[in-house]
Amino acid sequence: MTHPPLGQSDVAWQRLSPRMLLVHPVHELLRELPWLIGAVVLGSTTGNQSWPVAVLVFTVVVGVARWFTTSYRIDADPDSGQVQLRTGLLQRKVLSLPRNRIRSVQSDAPLLHRLLGLAVLRVGTGQEAKGENGSGTFELNAVQVEQVPRLRSILLAGSPPADAAAGVPAASKVLARWQPSWLRYSPLSVSGLLTIAAAAGVGYQSGIFERLQHSQLFESGLDMARRLGVADTVAVIGALILVASVVLAVLRSLLTYGNLVLLREADVLHLRHGLLRRRERAYDMSRLRGATLRQPLLVRVLGGARLDAVMTGVHGAGESSVLLPPCPAATTESVMLELIGDPDVVSGPLRGHGRRAAGRRWTRALGLPVLVGVALSVAVAVDGTSVVPVWVWPALLAVTAWCTLLAADRVSALGHRVDSRWLVMRAGSLERRRDCLATAGIIGWTVRQSPLQRRAGVATLVAATAAGVKRYPLIDVPENDVWAVAAQASPWVADSIWAIR
Amino acid sequence: MGRPVGGILDGVDNRIPGPPVAGMVDPAHPPSRRAPLRWAVGGVVWWLLLAAVQVVWIEFDDRLRWLHILIAVISGVGAVISVAVAPLWRYRVHRWEVGPHAVYTRTGWLVQERRIAPISRVQTVDTHRGPLDRLFGLANVTVTTASSAGALHIAALDVDVADHLVAQLTDIAAIGAEDAT
Repeated sequence: MTHPPLGQSDVAWQRLSPRMLLVHPVHELLRELPWLIGAVVLGSTTGNQSWPVAVLVFTVVVGVARWFTTSYRIDADPDSGQVQLRTGLLQRKVLSLPRNRIRSVQSDAPLLHRLLGLAVLRVGTGQEAKGENGSGTFELNAVQVEQVPRLRSILLAGSPPADAAAGVPAASKVLARWQPSWLRYSPLSVSGLLTIAAAAGVGYQSGIFERLQHSQLFESGLDMARRLGVADTVAVIGALILVASVVLAVLRSLLTYGNLVLLREADVLHLRHGLLRRRERAYDMSRLRGATLRQPLLVRVLGGARLDAVMTGVHGAGESSVLLPPCPAATTESVMLELIGDPDVVSGPLRGHGRRAAGRRWTRALGLPVLVGVALSVAVAVDGTSVVPVWVWPALLAVTAWCTLLAADRVSALGHRVDSRWLVMRAGSLERRRDCLATAGIIGWTVRQSPLQRRAGVATLVAATAAGVKRYPLIDVPENDVWAVAAQASPWVADSIWAIR
Repeated sequence: MGRPVGGILDGVDNRIPGPPVAGMVDPAHPPSRRAPLRWAVGGVVWWLLLAAVQVVWIEFDDRLRWLHILIAVISGVGAVISVAVAPLWRYRVHRWEVGPHAVYTRTGWLVQERRIAPISRVQTVDTHRGPLDRLFGLANVTVTTASSAGALHIAALDVDVADHLVAQLTDIAAIGAEDAT
């Protein structure tokens, strides 16, 4: 690769949107809030009001200077050109990125940005996979929203397929659009509960609880609790928390995904969502190596699923790879079909892993309950019935029943499907996933056997890729089939000198 | 229906499938003959440290006799495993070989792994020599691909074998020629 030396290209440096002159000081004020409060305290104790004013002026000046010292440049040549970002008030920093390394472009508009018609543009390269928020992310904070589509198409034009289709006007096709019915999957998520826990933590830290303790509200609540008794009070509080968590979870889901649109323009996928904070991602389809259908138990029970993209240059877990939040399984499957193009891969039947793999699921699930049951029975036989409290037996029975269902579900889930183009793997019950991987993206195979697996004659087959979560394990494949699966997916395994035909 | 994923699947369909693969022969080459010794020395260090701590402990406080005996038995068994059993077992399992288009290794002892990666996707070939490795004239070679789950580790090779392997791999792989993702 040959890059023109830094600063010698004739493309001019550009500034970010001047509206950031408003945003930067506000953000700077928020960031320096502790200092500001300190200055106000200092000012009121010393009687000298110039302290807070000085700090205020300083932060605003820093915020304004941030805009004047930041500029960016995009070289014209998509193959050997670079994008550069110059930042730093005292310490000048230039971040350069070859244009042909750009894998994805995201835009993000927090509330204040949104009000001013601005968006943060984030450029993702392969390195992004290591640390989403690490230093060295290429971030244009911020440009005007109207400029985003133009900048995005310029930035993504560096990737080969978009380049080929550059002359063709991009026909966009909507793959999925948010429906109000999607909200039915959100009450069951733990996000509401986490929000409550976080709020409680903050409240406790800030000492609000201590003040509440002496308030009238608290006193009357305590009064009511005395009248109700312990069990009822716990039930009421539990119900209140449950209702609050459901409301919060639904609200959060609505605000985050309430206007989600997934559409495809030629070889670029666009994902837009967010009612308040508007986020937009563009994925280069030539980087797509498959997709993962994830079905947490509670979502699956309601016939839902979520969809993650398996892409190189995009972290496989977490928000950056989400294509669809929990939504009807039919929607996920139709989108997956659009991406993969083979109905058998998306929803076709899978090959199970046989009796011994099933046996291992059963032993794992029922081993502990059975052991506990035997131990308790022995204790009763030796010391008489009084040793074990009565409620233990129904509890044990319930746990055993739950484990039985879990094992049966895990057995029915486990399976794979392989041809020369796609490897499909499905496993799990509480967190079921169906991974569809393009075999061309698989760059390594591992066959792993623990002593127990060796005894049972099964092995774990791990497909390694540069995309998504990198490591895609397929558990407990019969020992005799394991290399056949790898060879069917990868010709370089079948043609290697070690293969036995 | 949409066009399938562009680019990466081109040409995949044109392949004529051969007869199914029934299994894989193990890779041919064992590690250096000095490997078990190196692993044993590397393993014994920690047990010696633990033994020293125990001796000091008994000197100061010998009340909980049964606890001392239990720990002594555990560390005795652990030492025997890490000094005698594990190194010899590992030596029997560890194998590696470089074919015309792929690298293949077998590693582990209790949990065993076979790993294969195509040479065309190799990104880096690193040699690592710790103090103990230098003492025994050994080297470890790590072959990485673009996937963090696909790195091959070839442990405890004779230095000249390792050097030859690295030269051979860098030669075939023509590292840096393409993106390899």
